[in-house]
Amino acid sequence: MNAKRGSRVVLGLAFASAVVSLVPLWYLGVQSFSTGIESFAGEIFQSRTFTLIVRSVVLTSTVAAGSVIIGTFAAWVTTLSGVKGRIPLTIAFSLPLALPSYLSAFAWVSWIPSLSGFTGASLVLTLACYPYVMLPVAAAMSRLNPVHEDIARTMGRRQREILKEVVLPQVRRPIASGALLVALYTLSDFGAVAAMRHEVFTWVIYGAYRAGFNPTRAAALSVVLVAAAIFITVGETLLRGRHYSPGHGEPERARMNRTSAKTYIVAAVGSVLVLVPAIVIPVVAIASWIGRTTTRRVEWATVLDATAQSFLNGSITALVTLALAMPVAWCAVRNTSIMARIPERLSYLTHALPGIVVAISIVYVGIRVARPWYQQTPLLVFGQVIIFLPVMIASIRTAFEKTPRGLEETAQTLGADSIRTFLRVTLPIALPGLLAGSALTMLAAVKELPVTLLLRPTGMDTLSTKIWDFSTISDYAAVGPFAVAMLLLAALPTALLGAMSALRANR
Amino acid sequence: MTDDIALELTDVSHRFDKSEVLKSVTLTVRKGDITALVGPSGSGKSTLLRIIAGLEQPTRGVVRINGITVADERTWVPAHKRKIALVPQDGALFPHLSVTANIAFGLTDRKSAATGEQVKRMLDLVGLPNAGDLMPSELSGGMQQRVALARALATEPAVVLLDEPFSALDAGLRESLRDQVVNILHTAGATALWVTHDQDEALSTADRVCILLDGHIAQSDDPVSTYHTPTSVETARFIGETVSLNGNVAETGLSVDTPLGSVELLRHCAVGPATVIVRPEQFEITSPEDAQAAAIGRVVATRYFGHDGTVDVDIPNGVRITVRLHARLLPAVDSTVGLLVHGKVLAFRRDPV
Amino acid sequence: MKPLRHVIAAIAGLALVTSACGNSNSSQDTDVDSSVTVYSGRSEELVKGLFDAFTEETDIAVNARYGDSGELAALLLTEGSASPADVFFSQDAGALGAVEDNLTELPEATLSMVDSKYAAASGKWVGITGRVRVVVYNPGLAPTPPASIDELLDPKWKGKIGFAPTNASWQSFVTALRVLRGEDDAEKWLRAFADNSPVAFEKNSAVRDAVNAGDVAVGLVNHYYLLEKIAAEGAAAVVAKNQFMKPGDVGGLVNVAGAGILAKAKHGVAAQKFIDFLQSETAAEYFRTKTWEYILTKNAVQPEGLPAFSELNAPSIDLSDLKSLDQTQELLQKVGLLTK
Repeated sequence: MNAKRGSRVVLGLAFASAVVSLVPLWYLGVQSFSTGIESFAGEIFQSRTFTLIVRSVVLTSTVAAGSVIIGTFAAWVTTLSGVKGRIPLTIAFSLPLALPSYLSAFAWVSWIPSLSGFTGASLVLTLACYPYVMLPVAAAMSRLNPVHEDIARTMGRRQREILKEVVLPQVRRPIASGALLVALYTLSDFGAVAAMRHEVFTWVIYGAYRAGFNPTRAAALSVVLVAAAIFITVGETLLRGRHYSPGHGEPERARMNRTSAKTYIVAAVGSVLVLVPAIVIPVVAIASWIGRTTTRRVEWATVLDATAQSFLNGSITALVTLALAMPVAWCAVRNTSIMARIPERLSYLTHALPGIVVAISIVYVGIRVARPWYQQTPLLVFGQVIIFLPVMIASIRTAFEKTPRGLEETAQTLGADSIRTFLRVTLPIALPGLLAGSALTMLAAVKELPVTLLLRPTGMDTLSTKIWDFSTISDYAAVGPFAVAMLLLAALPTALLGAMSALRANR
Repeated sequence: MTDDIALELTDVSHRFDKSEVLKSVTLTVRKGDITALVGPSGSGKSTLLRIIAGLEQPTRGVVRINGITVADERTWVPAHKRKIALVPQDGALFPHLSVTANIAFGLTDRKSAATGEQVKRMLDLVGLPNAGDLMPSELSGGMQQRVALARALATEPAVVLLDEPFSALDAGLRESLRDQVVNILHTAGATALWVTHDQDEALSTADRVCILLDGHIAQSDDPVSTYHTPTSVETARFIGETVSLNGNVAETGLSVDTPLGSVELLRHCAVGPATVIVRPEQFEITSPEDAQAAAIGRVVATRYFGHDGTVDVDIPNGVRITVRLHARLLPAVDSTVGLLVHGKVLAFRRDPV
Repeated sequence: MKPLRHVIAAIAGLALVTSACGNSNSSQDTDVDSSVTVYSGRSEELVKGLFDAFTEETDIAVNARYGDSGELAALLLTEGSASPADVFFSQDAGALGAVEDNLTELPEATLSMVDSKYAAASGKWVGITGRVRVVVYNPGLAPTPPASIDELLDPKWKGKIGFAPTNASWQSFVTALRVLRGEDDAEKWLRAFADNSPVAFEKNSAVRDAVNAGDVAVGLVNHYYLLEKIAAEGAAAVVAKNQFMKPGDVGGLVNVAGAGILAKAKHGVAAQKFIDFLQSETAAEYFRTKTWEYILTKNAVQPEGLPAFSELNAPSIDLSDLKSLDQTQELLQKVGLLTK
């Protein structure tokens, strides 16, 4: 296959993936206009909608800003600061990914009830989301040319000025793409705002289902979230600035600077200030639930079963998401035409939708066009893939960016066709990045609830459905073992992710 | 006397973990000079450069810049207060800043008119008067390197450190750029320490050449003396191609007996067995019948470089001699030739083991 | 191993699709009424045992899909006539009301088992159990607890009332308040209530525990939370008591959990057997000892330690009216009792 035809095939695949992620729009279109354009307008154009927009914007920008600050700091600590123990630190900073926002929010609010509201919601979401900024920024920072810092130093700059004038401008793009994921996630999150009783769009959308029994209203409000996603995605495109490649694919150079005592102090104090509220407090709170009195015995067999099921579902979801994300990421990085960037951008559109809306959309479409798969694993996986596609794309596109194009060309001159070049050159080099993306997706899939709850095969229990089940009857003692199992299960890919990120940075 | 010394290193040593990278390095750089610091990779060049720049603190020793001590047991002036400028390998222009902003980076008031003028002066100096608004990614490798030099010179530093400035460029470009840079440095009246592993670069550009071998300064001299009168076999071999012969220094200490007969010495050597160093261009190929031929040998290989070439000749006693000569004169392989030696040679006493 | 089974099912599903025919559920459908698919808005932990008992008694397998009642209602509406569900067992009447169009009318024999006010006027669903709103109180702090919602407004309870603002039963009570007193008076009461600085908890159980521990004097919860605690920790460990509201007081609202059969149910016979079972004495015994709810079936024996159901004289309200919960949330929002 010649290279040109090959790239057209990949572009086609990328568009196919993007279309998959747009399936919810079909349902939203049909459902929100089911009672006519007027009632749709009636649902949207209310003064309350405006208030909601303001509240959502405030929460989203607070969480995005907080995540950028903490995530960039964490990336700095684990790469440029030169502080020893990079691998354990990266793992520790990645651990919040293992905590579902509904659990940590509940842990916080049951400990400090006055935290509920905006403060608590932004706290919990920021601490849950900053790794989405940290991971790409750390990868970019470790690829920066250390000589730039040397030169800036010889030209009279201090550490702080170097960060501001030399380092940050060069990692603007990963910061922007991390912030994009965080913003869209915040818009879609329900767990944290529910536990914190902070009214934003998702709250009202869930309310429309749970209390209003009004799917049309939920769909109409979801359309606003899609519009918000478009707005944010476009905003990110404007903010991200240019991409500064690390040179001609040359190997990263070792950093020779010694770390000053001041740097150590800043890194240590900052890390403690982040890690204690992000990890220690929620984990201790959750672990303490086990000790509470309960009428039930802990059935470890059930816990094990649910853990195995979660692991299995997460793995399948991660693999399928990876397969769909690869052509999209590949096009966004390698194909220079404007067309090639469209699939990636499209995949973000549904990323601000709350899980329940995606789930109901899949129900709507699934029962019509995929009846045999309805309430079977394939549709469950399909639903989760839609939710996690952007996360996967974002994390693996860095991996493809790292593969020097020259190497691929070399392989092709040696007689390998495009497919073989991809399999034998590009893939092996990008593999750590692909693994990292898969780990991230698996983590998210294990924590995911609304889609699992509605689309799982009848009788299938995962850790998140069990946790939900017990928490609806307020049996937190019974939630404990499942929550701990989830933390342990999620800690595995997190550790892998952290270690991989640190190793990549080390290389 | 010290007034014309820009940079002075005394007894500087440095160790990383357990390995001693620099061993008691002493070095002076005169104002307005281009001094080449040449050594094979791993000889400690980069570390020495970082110590001078203030990016690394030496384990021991004194560093003075313009007579002011910037590093000794008690003193440590960090990089941003030293007025040392760095031109690294690939230029390392800040990719997010325009050419103008790159050049202005080290200037104190980056918005002032004086800065604007200085940037313009620098752009003119490096021959890129219209490149100010371009981004580094829009420049060729050679242009990037010239902007990097402009950025370094803009601050009017005490010393410009050039760290293998052309190693990323192709050969043709390297030579023309080398000349341009030397001119620019001289025009600006700058003092430069030029680090390279390329002997030709060192010899052709520098006013003074310092050879760093295995963490210490093996020789520090003007280029001609460095080439012609190296102080050891190692420096002789490092700074240029050599043919080593076993010889025996005669009673006078002024000539040496070699497989090519008796040859005069450039400088006195102790009597006894010695390693004799001859530069390939000191040989001449002649006909085997030539009465003056010092030896007769058989051509085993020839190498053609365009402007010149080399010939490997085996002479009796199993000695192989490499001869450099005009390409036009390359003999045929397997032919028998006579060898002549021109000029005096160096001998270094071999200590009986 | 359970997970393995699902993988096999998934692969089987794929195989079926690639051969472009059939229905993956077909294997279960050979005997039309050997199974029943139940969408249960009631938690698995609460009702799984009951479903198992049904299977044991009738040999009909229960395929249960658990979820939030409102979300399941949305699921049913979205699935429409293609829904695999036979029965919708909901935690509250509102969700049942929302899907009434998709339900079939229940036989008179089923409907007449309960007081007509605990079944749909349309006959499409029937109430199974009831949860009564009460004031749980700490006798040490509240020797004479309020017996009507208006007594709660007394300044002596300022800062001493616990409630769970996001709890569905609390919101149902507010809905009933709106329906019975009208929007204006409901808002007036809520504003006065808010002025009395009630303390918000995340869950009803937390309200109960706070009352028992003496953190607040009284709390607005459902009647069974106290019984649950007594069952878990023993009567000696529990000092709190339930105060049932005066007859007819809206604060004593009875919320029901009920069930209906889908009009397009594939297992109609089994579905009816399931509803019959929910109204049976076996089920009543289960509810009495497991959920401590009132059994809505006429003349049923009620859980121990509760006042007779007939004595409660709950406020008269058409339970289908309770589905206007979203307006309730808007009102709660407006008076500042829901979110922060």
